[in-house]
Amino acid sequence: MRHYELMVILDPDLEERTVAPSLDKFLNVVRKADGTVENVNIWGRRKLAYEIKKKTEGIYAVVDMTTEPAVAKELDRQLNLNEAVLRTKLVRPGAR
Amino acid sequence: MAKPPVRKPKKKSNPLKSAGVEKVDYKDVTVLRKFISDRGKIRARRVTGVSVQQQREIAKAVKNAREMALLPYSSSAR
Repeated sequence: MRHYELMVILDPDLEERTVAPSLDKFLNVVRKADGTVENVNIWGRRKLAYEIKKKTEGIYAVVDMTTEPAVAKELDRQLNLNEAVLRTKLVRPGAR
Repeated sequence: MAKPPVRKPKKKSNPLKSAGVEKVDYKDVTVLRKFISDRGKIRARRVTGVSVQQQREIAKAVKNAREMALLPYSSSAR
């Protein structure tokens, strides 16, 4: 089990209050695999430093979780398949 | 005998880093902004005055932040 931090940029056209539930649905993958989701921090709408998919804004969310590497990878893969996800970043904060 | 011009070893500007945060985080844009130029380029170590290890951490953090559109890759601010 390892600690991961996942940052997601979501489509700004989404309703901001639907973000938490839909993100939670993705995180079920982690929970099913005995992982834990410590914290979900939704930053909200934020201007992008450059355009992604012609969008100038994005909804940022940061997830802290502890899970197996394979599960984290799978979650990242599933997120990237979703149209509403502009970009993701999966990092291990403590790792060098 | 011409004396070579004595250069003062230049005051060590203390690493702004140690005064502030301990761990460099790519999410902390306000800190990272101090280490990039107006055009978005990463400032050299001789400018920032941080240690080699810290500079490496900063560079990595800036690059991560760029990937997530928190910082620009380049800004044509001229």
